[in-house]
Amino acid sequence: MSSTADIAALGRRATFGFAPGGLDRAVGLGAARWVDELTSPDAHGVAAAPDPWSAATYSNDPDERQQQALRILDGWFGALTESPRPLVESMAWFWHDHFAVSFGVVKFPAPFARYLSRLRRHALGDFRTLLQEMTTDAAMLLFLDGSTSTAAAPNENYGRELLELYGLGLDEFTEADVRAAAAALTGWVVQPRSDFAVQFVPRRHDAKPQQFLGRTVRDAAGVVDAVLDHPACARFVASKVAAWFLGDGVDAATVDGFARVFRDNDLQIAPLVRAVLRARLDGAGSSTVVSPFPWFAGVCKVAGVRPRPQAYFRALSGAGQDPFRPPNVGGWPGPSAWLGASPTAARLALASTVVDLLPAPSPLLAAAARPDLASLAGLLGLPDGFGTGTTAALRDLHGSSPGGRPGAAVLAVALASPELVVA
Amino acid sequence: MLSRRAFLSLVGGAAATSAAGAGAWAGLLRERVEDAAAVAVGGGSVSGRVLVVLQLGGGNDGLNTLVPSDGRYRDARPKLALPEADLVRVRADGYSLHPGLAPLAARWDAGRIAAFEGIGQRNQSRSHFKAMDVWWAGTDGSASTTGWLGRWLDATEGSSPNPLRSISLGTGAPALVGSRSLPTVVLSPSRFALAAPARTDAAAITAAFLATSAPGGSAGDVWLDAARAAIPTTIEAIDLVDRARVDDPDVDLVTGRVNENTASALLQTAAGIIELGVGTQVLLVGVNGFDTHSNQLIVHDELLRDVAAGITAFFDRLEAAGLADDVLLVTTSEFGRRVAENASEGTDHGFASAQFVMGAGVRGGRVVGESGLGSLVDGDLPIGIDTRSLYAVALDWLGGPTDGVLGSSFDRYDLL
Repeated sequence: MSSTADIAALGRRATFGFAPGGLDRAVGLGAARWVDELTSPDAHGVAAAPDPWSAATYSNDPDERQQQALRILDGWFGALTESPRPLVESMAWFWHDHFAVSFGVVKFPAPFARYLSRLRRHALGDFRTLLQEMTTDAAMLLFLDGSTSTAAAPNENYGRELLELYGLGLDEFTEADVRAAAAALTGWVVQPRSDFAVQFVPRRHDAKPQQFLGRTVRDAAGVVDAVLDHPACARFVASKVAAWFLGDGVDAATVDGFARVFRDNDLQIAPLVRAVLRARLDGAGSSTVVSPFPWFAGVCKVAGVRPRPQAYFRALSGAGQDPFRPPNVGGWPGPSAWLGASPTAARLALASTVVDLLPAPSPLLAAAARPDLASLAGLLGLPDGFGTGTTAALRDLHGSSPGGRPGAAVLAVALASPELVVA
Repeated sequence: MLSRRAFLSLVGGAAATSAAGAGAWAGLLRERVEDAAAVAVGGGSVSGRVLVVLQLGGGNDGLNTLVPSDGRYRDARPKLALPEADLVRVRADGYSLHPGLAPLAARWDAGRIAAFEGIGQRNQSRSHFKAMDVWWAGTDGSASTTGWLGRWLDATEGSSPNPLRSISLGTGAPALVGSRSLPTVVLSPSRFALAAPARTDAAAITAAFLATSAPGGSAGDVWLDAARAAIPTTIEAIDLVDRARVDDPDVDLVTGRVNENTASALLQTAAGIIELGVGTQVLLVGVNGFDTHSNQLIVHDELLRDVAAGITAFFDRLEAAGLADDVLLVTTSEFGRRVAENASEGTDHGFASAQFVMGAGVRGGRVVGESGLGSLVDGDLPIGIDTRSLYAVALDWLGGPTDGVLGSSFDRYDLL
């Protein structure tokens, strides 16, 4: 039996926490059914959230790119905090960390929005399709130089990361495999003047047969299939998903089990994630750290506010997690990075931003103003309450008449508290 | 000197008793920092020397940084070879500097800058991640959970650890992570501040935030303990950086150019921290963008101009403050780049590169090692000098222990 606290912690890890009432509903459903609903929303008749970017067209005019980028971010934030299918949004964020394309390199809104759409569309879908689409995605071709790679001078950037970071992991391939992949992947070109359409240009493609991962390939489809069929692929992806939800201390046998589920389901992502979430509810793994962007999305979701991107993107960047700009091709760093001085300072700034945006009759402000700390903790997804240090700190802060709107000071510190960055 | 534990209990106690007392943390903090400074300057237990590691993230192209007078260089790079006439001549047989490094020429010729040529990690990997792991770890290629500077910090940590002993500006800092020592990481100096909701008492809120760090109720959750421990360190570091940093530049969401994250701006903040004298011994300054797979000439030129301007202003300022004799600056990068250019007018990941060692204590004005253009391995510059020779020079500067931290003894080439 999973406790309310277990469900709450998994919600803070996997679904950006809960909107008001969401935790009670999940507890009412029972943990197993809740996880089924999250991982198979179609089968359970859960409404689909619209693609926040599909309807919009984006200008690539250099003078408007900043505004366009903020529109993309705002659309994304709306999906993260309001979607009836929160696990889809949270897995799209996982895949963005996995494929880690940076807007700082792509520089144009339209291809970047399409890249995000693809991550979201396949977030709980078919890993084969996802990897195929990423390989010839315009943003990815710009990001890892595929678009300028030719038969005469193949660029190895994407080929190497396809093997090392996206599909197999280090030690599963040789330098010769990297060169073979680079050659076979040539020919895909982004056309900036045709709205960043991707074209295959045969004269730029090296059509010679290449020996790659023990088979003969000639083109991008062959390269991607060889990666997907490689015995290390399912386990590599499964271990990354496992670490994401269960922390780093998962034993090898447990990961082997996840890999088997993934492989048996022909690399469908939903069954893999379902197995991992169930394992956590059954006590596998440990807590880990919630990084700044999902933490902030969770704070906004529970508060029911949607700040303008101008109000938060600089603070997120200062925390080390501008969601448009992973620091390098490997994505964001591991959990301990999020407990450094920069993200710690940014928490209080971002929490204060949210508190200032709260509408007047707010259950959070009301609980903080009394202060009813048990209720406040429960609303924030901590049904067992704050720790003794935070409890005393909030009580004393209330007693010091810190000014501002009633409850504002207590709520800001509660939102920034150490308890809410661990899940 | 106020111990860390006493400091925390005092501040926590103040926060617990009254709002007026709660505001006292800043004053206490100042006092503590001044105590640390007194130890740093006169106490003898802490060396007054400072090491600055300037990290050129992405893999800097050594060949276009320290340019060899070698026809094979021009043959391999029809588009990317720098025009002979633009190069900066310095007192170094067979080598010139990239035009963007012109501001460094005077210090080079005054013997305060030396270069390692053909330096890199043995068993080099072309993967950024594998290369960075080894680069940071300072091992022979084996995995390590500690960084080379982190192990030195562990080995020399006093009884009352100072969280400001090692600070990283503009980058995460695995090289500074030890088994006991954790660096203070400041990704963005201008956005490194606490804030409070409108019309609330910011000092009371800061004190309450600090008080949430008190242990209790974590049931042995190591991450929760770590999240708590980060808060006091953060508040101390904010006060320091606030006094040291340069004024707030702007960020451009599209280009990602954050002016404050240039070498110029970060090295000014570093100089400010050194001037404040709070016992900081290791400063890691991270600049990114050196992964020049495409359009290298323009991008690399911009980066090196920033680096040279930043270093020059850094030493000028420290010389004016009479502190330059205490400071050694070294550059590092995870790998060099291929000799041959690619079709995108860039270069792919390669092996050996060039790095610099700078400061009044350096026996400079010379190049140690050689480019290796005559003995390529699979089209790559061979590694003639192990990166750990550079690390050994840096750790010797700090007074060691060196060989124990690096696991073996490496040639220092008489650079100090």
